[in-house]
Amino acid sequence: MLNKTFAYRLEIMMFAVIAIIMILIGRMAYLQIYRGAYYDRQSEGNRTRYTTILAPRGIIYDSNGEELVNNKPGFMISLMRRGESYKPEVIERLSVILKIPESKIREIIDKSKDNYEPVRLMRNASPEIVTKIEENLRDLPGVMLEVQPVRNYVNKNLAVQTLGYVGEISEYEIDNGLYKGLKAGSIIGKFGLERFYDNFLRGTDGSYREEVDVNGRVVKIMDKVDPKPGHGLVLTIDAKMQRVAEAAVDKQLQSLGARACAVVAMDPYTGEIKALVSRPDFDPNWFVNGISEKHWQAINNDSFDPMTDKAIAGQYPPGSTFKIVTGSAALEEKKVTPEELIFDSGRHKLIDMRNANGEALGWIDFKKALSASDNVYFYEMGNRLGIDLLDKYAAKFGFGAKTGIDLDGEADGLIANPKYKMKVFDEDWFLGDTFNAAIGQGFNLATPIQVATMLSAVATDGKRFEPHLVKKILNDDGSVFKTFKPKLLGSLPVSRENLTLIQDGLKAVTQEGGTAADLGTLPVSVAGKTGTAENPHGRDHGWFIAYAPADKPTLVVICIVEQGGYGSVASVPIVKSILEYAFGQSTQKQGG
Amino acid sequence: MLDKKIVNNLDYVLLFGVFLLTGIGIMLIGSATHANVDSPNRYYYVFRQALFAFVNICIGYYLLHFDYRMLKDLAKPMYVLNIIMLLAVMFFGRTVLGAQRWIQLGPFSIQPSEFAKAIMIIALAAYVDKRVNTLDNLRGWIPVFAYVFVPFILVMKQPDLGTSLVFLAILLGIMIICGFKKKYFLAMGFGVLAAAPLLWGVLHEYQRNRIRVFLDPGLEPYGSGYHVIQSMIAIGSGLLTGKGLFAGTQSQLNFLPENHTDFIFAVAGEEFGFIGVTIILLLYLLIIYRGFSIAMNATDNFGCLLATGIVAMFTFHVLVNVGMTSGIMPVTGVPLPFMSYGVSSLTTNMLMITLLLNIDLHPQRLRFH
Repeated sequence: MLNKTFAYRLEIMMFAVIAIIMILIGRMAYLQIYRGAYYDRQSEGNRTRYTTILAPRGIIYDSNGEELVNNKPGFMISLMRRGESYKPEVIERLSVILKIPESKIREIIDKSKDNYEPVRLMRNASPEIVTKIEENLRDLPGVMLEVQPVRNYVNKNLAVQTLGYVGEISEYEIDNGLYKGLKAGSIIGKFGLERFYDNFLRGTDGSYREEVDVNGRVVKIMDKVDPKPGHGLVLTIDAKMQRVAEAAVDKQLQSLGARACAVVAMDPYTGEIKALVSRPDFDPNWFVNGISEKHWQAINNDSFDPMTDKAIAGQYPPGSTFKIVTGSAALEEKKVTPEELIFDSGRHKLIDMRNANGEALGWIDFKKALSASDNVYFYEMGNRLGIDLLDKYAAKFGFGAKTGIDLDGEADGLIANPKYKMKVFDEDWFLGDTFNAAIGQGFNLATPIQVATMLSAVATDGKRFEPHLVKKILNDDGSVFKTFKPKLLGSLPVSRENLTLIQDGLKAVTQEGGTAADLGTLPVSVAGKTGTAENPHGRDHGWFIAYAPADKPTLVVICIVEQGGYGSVASVPIVKSILEYAFGQSTQKQGG
Repeated sequence: MLDKKIVNNLDYVLLFGVFLLTGIGIMLIGSATHANVDSPNRYYYVFRQALFAFVNICIGYYLLHFDYRMLKDLAKPMYVLNIIMLLAVMFFGRTVLGAQRWIQLGPFSIQPSEFAKAIMIIALAAYVDKRVNTLDNLRGWIPVFAYVFVPFILVMKQPDLGTSLVFLAILLGIMIICGFKKKYFLAMGFGVLAAAPLLWGVLHEYQRNRIRVFLDPGLEPYGSGYHVIQSMIAIGSGLLTGKGLFAGTQSQLNFLPENHTDFIFAVAGEEFGFIGVTIILLLYLLIIYRGFSIAMNATDNFGCLLATGIVAMFTFHVLVNVGMTSGIMPVTGVPLPFMSYGVSSLTTNMLMITLLLNIDLHPQRLRFH
């Protein structure tokens, strides 16, 4: 008998079986106790899908309530987070449909490795792509179509430098902690008001956690946090005036063969900007889904730099518009009386510096000198004032410092002085430099917004208000969250009497014989000043600055056309169009 | 109607283990096939498994009236029938999941390879029983090896690596009990190692893949590695006490494939936790222990050989199935006895338990009796 004689053989087998069962129990202990937490997370990761619901950004309205920037539903194509890797054939198919190289898709997946959220591959996919994805969803396990708000710039290029655009947060911005609590893939304002008011506009993303089965079907929603939409903005911008201004600019640029221009229209008593134009421009919608190479090249290779808002960051010699400052200083410091006649022989008696066109006006008083923009007269004013006094007044008028407009990237401009010249050019300061400064040429630089603020201060009899673009911040229910009141920056150190003299001189500019007599036909009287900024690199830049009605100003409009030639030729027609929009058509045009 | 002599002498410890495991199995099949979710046919699998458990218990009880020694005479015809059945599968079988394992008989699809295991045990025990005195040298074993080799190859061809390896496990048990020499074991072990590349060539591509993936489950997390990874996640996430019956997310949300058949143990791990699976494994140990005990007390070599073969079969199934669901064995289609859904498998296992009870109930009658 086998079992009786060799019982130990069965016992050996029995011990082997006990050992096997113990090994299996040990394996269970390893999986369920030692590694339990890990597998528990894995199983949670399997069944839960965590999705961010993007908060719609605040809507941006113009001053009349027209939507300038809103959100539209866009299809986002994402990869579900399931396990660590995705099937290569899925990535291959996606690559073909989305027309994104496989390597790029893998890069995006790698970048968002630390997130538990779906990997976003494409925002605002085109209808053709959405259709293709939907048709092939069976062969694309793990691929999701999500509807999320996508930023929409309703009027495309309109006021692009002011409104700005949004884009994905950059690695640099994440690494440097510039935006707290934002993850890769978050959308932030990158430029313009979108950037300046990003904290208000952005809102807070919501999320939901869903239980899904192996096919990605939602079994139940585990919890949901609703997104908090961003605050809306009501701008001071009048979209209609903005359109008129841009149309006038584009027409004028075309006829001049020029490419760059800046326009500021503002309410002098509040600092509210009604229109702000910078050319060349671009379509902000290009940036919303990640800019294409073609569009980026178009922007990047443009020597006139569409990305610079010329109205706040363009720096130009103020040209003859600066004679307002020189004149005010001379009157206030009593270096000249309004009645004093100074002889213009066509050149200054001390240095051979002449009028622009070589003309000689003979004996002229202050008002005539200002309205005819006589250089010789103002050389003499510079001579009498000296550079230090001139600079002091320039600073009081707001030159050489940012105006404080609610946009990033504003330039300082420059008030030149002997120290500056020595430092930069290692040269002494000459009287000729003072002469140049007196008529706004030479070293001095001003931004259009500075010039607009300067003229506003004259229009308001001396009060200088901070220019701003946002009137109100709204809550998401439309109620007012915050209202911006006009902010007084300072008062001009110029007497009412002297300011009136300046104002009279500016009014004469648009009368018969003035440099902008063209504006005499408007239904309201206009005060203005032309200017030509000398440009050593090409044709001169043409300024025209104006306010109206001259007696009770409600609107300041200034314009500079880069390389547009004389201000009266280049900029006056643009300003005229805007004034016509604001105050009515010219009587002459209506008649004829 | 009940035979007192049978009822009084049954091994109730063994039966306790078997019934408990079958019961747990039916519950888990219910969980794995969403019997808790309202849908038509929600009880299909549960009902079938329970029904066949009952039918098999009845058949088993009936069979206890016969002396297992009758099987000695039936062994050869069964062996031949087995070969015919396996050939039938090759030619008329239904292909499921890349393997030809089923034949359709009326409303039943049966898996001859499951019954082949039972037949293998009986036929081999009878065959060895006759030659027990010639097995003291290697030459004596050659016919025995040949006897196993024929059905082994046929099952391997289906291809059903799991079942063919069960044959080897049964053979191994028989070899140990018959005192196959250690040096021969060693020699054969080296022989198998040396022939490994050759065996690799014999395997199907999907089988090779399973072995590759076993060595590195991350190789194809969505391919053949998927089963094992999801199964390990299921078991691991059960922690100490489990997620509760019907509450396993891996099984309920179908992350775990084939969860009512070969991967039922993963459902157990997920829903009952470490405590639950330890109890289940100890129940298997209990059954096997009773099997050894019956082998030990058998009154003839045939009974001892049968019991050893049965024990070897159960042990192999538990080791390979639990090992595969927990990621320490390659994936082979070996069901977990009594718990995996499957009529053929349940029937075979219950018949084997009946056979153990039968050996226990029918001691050798003395000659003078």
